[in-house]
Amino acid sequence: MISVSPRTLDPKVKLDLNNLSPEQVALEIKNLNLYYGDKQALQNISMSIPKGQVTAFIGPSGCGKSTLLRCINRMNDLVDICKIEGEINLHGENIYGKQVDVAALRRQVGMVFQRPNPFPKSIYENVVYGLRIMGENNRRVLDEAAENALRSAALWNEVKDRLHDSALGLSGGQQQRLVIARAIAIKPEVLLLDEPTSALDPISTLTIEELINDLKKQFTVVIVTHNMQQAARVSDQTAFMYMGDLIEYSDTNTLFTTPAKKKTEDYITGRYG
Amino acid sequence: MAIALKSTGPRQLKNTLAQWLITVGGISVLFTLVLIFLYLLYVIKPIFESATIEPVGQFEISTAAPTLSAGVDELKEVAFQITEQGDINFYQLVKSAAHEKSTLVLNESLLSEDKTLVNVVNSGVEKKLLIDSDGEIQLIAAKFFSNFDSGTREIIPSVAYPLGEESLAVDESGELLTQLSFSMNDEKAVFVAFTQDQRLIKTSLLAEDDFTYDSAYETLYQEIDFPADHVNEILVTPDMRLAFVRSDDQIFVFDLTNEDIVELKATIIPSLEQTSTKPQHITAMALLSGSSSILLGSSAGKVTQWFEVATDNGRQFKNVRTFNVSDTEAVTQIHTEQFRKSFYTLTTSGNMGVFYTTSEADLWRGQLTTTEPNVFAISPRADGLVVIDENQLKIFSVENEHPEVTWSALWEEVWYEGYPEPEYIWQSTSGSDDFEGKFSLVPISFGTMKAAMYAMLFAVPIALSAAIYTAYFMTPGMRRKVKPTIELMEALPTVILGFLAGLWLAPIIENYLPAIAMLLIMLPLSVFVTAFAWHKLPKEMKNTIPETWAPIILVPVLLIAGGSAFLLSPFFESLFFGGDVRQYITNDLGIDFDQRNSLVVGLAMGFAVIPTIFSMAEDAIFSVPKHLTSGSLALGATQWQTLAKVVLLTASPGIFSAVMMGLGRAVGETMIVLMATGNTPILDWSIFQGMRTLAANIAVEMPESEVGSSHYRILFLAAFVLFVFTFIFNTFAELIRQRLREKYSSL
Repeated sequence: MISVSPRTLDPKVKLDLNNLSPEQVALEIKNLNLYYGDKQALQNISMSIPKGQVTAFIGPSGCGKSTLLRCINRMNDLVDICKIEGEINLHGENIYGKQVDVAALRRQVGMVFQRPNPFPKSIYENVVYGLRIMGENNRRVLDEAAENALRSAALWNEVKDRLHDSALGLSGGQQQRLVIARAIAIKPEVLLLDEPTSALDPISTLTIEELINDLKKQFTVVIVTHNMQQAARVSDQTAFMYMGDLIEYSDTNTLFTTPAKKKTEDYITGRYG
Repeated sequence: MAIALKSTGPRQLKNTLAQWLITVGGISVLFTLVLIFLYLLYVIKPIFESATIEPVGQFEISTAAPTLSAGVDELKEVAFQITEQGDINFYQLVKSAAHEKSTLVLNESLLSEDKTLVNVVNSGVEKKLLIDSDGEIQLIAAKFFSNFDSGTREIIPSVAYPLGEESLAVDESGELLTQLSFSMNDEKAVFVAFTQDQRLIKTSLLAEDDFTYDSAYETLYQEIDFPADHVNEILVTPDMRLAFVRSDDQIFVFDLTNEDIVELKATIIPSLEQTSTKPQHITAMALLSGSSSILLGSSAGKVTQWFEVATDNGRQFKNVRTFNVSDTEAVTQIHTEQFRKSFYTLTTSGNMGVFYTTSEADLWRGQLTTTEPNVFAISPRADGLVVIDENQLKIFSVENEHPEVTWSALWEEVWYEGYPEPEYIWQSTSGSDDFEGKFSLVPISFGTMKAAMYAMLFAVPIALSAAIYTAYFMTPGMRRKVKPTIELMEALPTVILGFLAGLWLAPIIENYLPAIAMLLIMLPLSVFVTAFAWHKLPKEMKNTIPETWAPIILVPVLLIAGGSAFLLSPFFESLFFGGDVRQYITNDLGIDFDQRNSLVVGLAMGFAVIPTIFSMAEDAIFSVPKHLTSGSLALGATQWQTLAKVVLLTASPGIFSAVMMGLGRAVGETMIVLMATGNTPILDWSIFQGMRTLAANIAVEMPESEVGSSHYRILFLAAFVLFVFTFIFNTFAELIRQRLREKYSSL
């Protein structure tokens, strides 16, 4: 069994994931089916993601964990052949409803991708991008938001003297933190992290993991990761997915120490994956 | 088994071979480019070289009497002198089979009795008019024939008498002449002379048939009303139209065209700076080749060129340009070449200068003799000089191939003879022999820019919009069909495009001008209306058409919009433009209208350039990493915001080079501009006027230019300019692209 660092085990937050009160729920996924053409990629997923916590999706490659994550801010809309059934509720409202403005939804549900993807602009312009496209042009507001976001992303001290240099001059780890700062500058409720450290070196990974721990104070964080240790280190809840099915979803400690399903145990002990 | 660290055998051989082949290939490409460049420079170089004058020989001539005139044959092998005693002596200049160098070849006495010569007037290269002590004249011509009897070339000199061997009197009353000028062609000879009793007279000899076969003529004597009491110089133009008579500092210009009366046409009074210590005067006068210009040399060392210019008060002689020959000495002699607008100046101390009027070129300065030579002659081909100075006959060779080309003649406004003001003109050939080539590269460089600009104006918006749509909005299935189709357009031979543009499109545009203007508004408008209607359409109806093919709806819409524009065109034409737009533009708006105009070229060349720009820009936009667009969309940006703020920014280096490649192609494009522009080298931005481009100019004129001539070399220069244009464009584009790439390259 994998040893779980005590840092992430906060005895206070031991939630009954099947019976969360409405205030505790950030996102509710109900009977979600997703098809890529004829192929079904997600099968009847239902789960509630608690507010202010870190939820990790783990599972072998192709299990649908990234697809599920991308459903939460409708990034799958960009794939033409993708068809979605079921609902995902944010504030009790289905994000796949007819009246939903996708751009507005994405401002509520931010996302950070696997590879750092800063825009070819200055550090400052990267951070305030989300505000600018919302029409915010007040210099003071932007400056303040940039500083706050960079501080929250633990990048301020490293870049404060070169805010107007190109973001492409930063290291990979710094770029990923910049992207996180960019995502949190518009103050989303939920932050989706799609394997945020898979392209980074161990030290940068550690920094990002520490950052995730801080972020959950302000945001609900959903993270997809390949790395089980990382899931164990950073998350409060973990969902194990396999072949498009949600196999097991429980608090991280339970899932890694006493998994309920055989498949989960096989995966976390390294029989496949 | 041990691993071989060195590759051996055939693999090593292949490796080495490939390496060598690639190296040789690469280097030879570079080498070829450099060779082209060097060859262009090699052909161009002579036009910027100054003149050189080298002595080729001199010898003593043993005649007691002073020499009055001299000359040389075309090949510079035999020279002659005419002495005061009326002898003409021919000297061998080059050793031949029959004669040693510098020997007397032929001696002939030109005067029958014991008369002596007073003066010799040159007329053209071979004719000499002798004036004897009795005031009678005789016209002789030094003729040279090539003889190959001895196996090598031998120049045989002889003397001909075009007006007969008898001396003739110019003045009816037989008065002695102080000044005389003469000019003739096959049918007529005209003398203008000033007699000792202060009469200015004109005597015309009208050939009964033709002077070339028969020297019989009738004589017509006229007296000219002349205000002054003495004359310093008289010049009659070779075409016998004008006579210039100088009396001190005034030049009277007489019109000789009227057979009945000689009228004073104009008086030239040059403004001379008069200081009390050193009053200035006119000291020399000469006619420039082409019969239009007169050169005046002054005691202040200046030579001024004058010709008739159309002004508000009719045609007037104007001082067009001034050459500074000397700061200290007077210009005492001006000699002009017969076929070009070069002239030689001499001052009292024997200082010589060579100039070219039109290009204002100061070609050569130096001293051939220690004092001012009394006899100075230019060889018939203007490649040599004969100078007789104190019984020394000196021969010089002149290397002066391209005096008319200078930097200023090519790139600055030049005041050509007969033009009202300095202008940029390209006019390399004409029907007449005494035509002067006008080689300003400005109009054709301008034409290149203009054609490229109109083409880009049409192509860039369409090509870039198409590229953005295809790369960013189009479904992959449709993109796979659309992109290769547009790229296929690039394979269309431009000669076909040019042909269609010139013969099919140009008349259509001319006839349906209002339709073309309406298309500009109606096409985008119909697209917007359709898009809006599509947006408002109920979803059920939208679903009947697969989204991939939705843009196809635009095809009939655009066809209808275009068709109706053409159908409505005659209606609009009669409603607003009085039935004929072309007439309206030329008469009411006062804008010149060519059928083959910039609009046609813009459309045709734009069409040729679109695939280039489209293809590269599309690639650039399509290759913007998906994670960047996702990143932007995930931040709540709309598709448009993502496109404008991330995609185009990231693709900007590629888009920029696409546009520059298109521009490069438009600048170098030949066939379309050749066939659709009308090739008129004018400087005018008007969309209804044609142009001539550097490339088309080379294509049009190269086949008819004489190899090695100034025209030929200037065409090479035009090619070089084109080369430099594209070189500058590409370098500039590459620099900017590099900077953009540094700034916006994304991982």
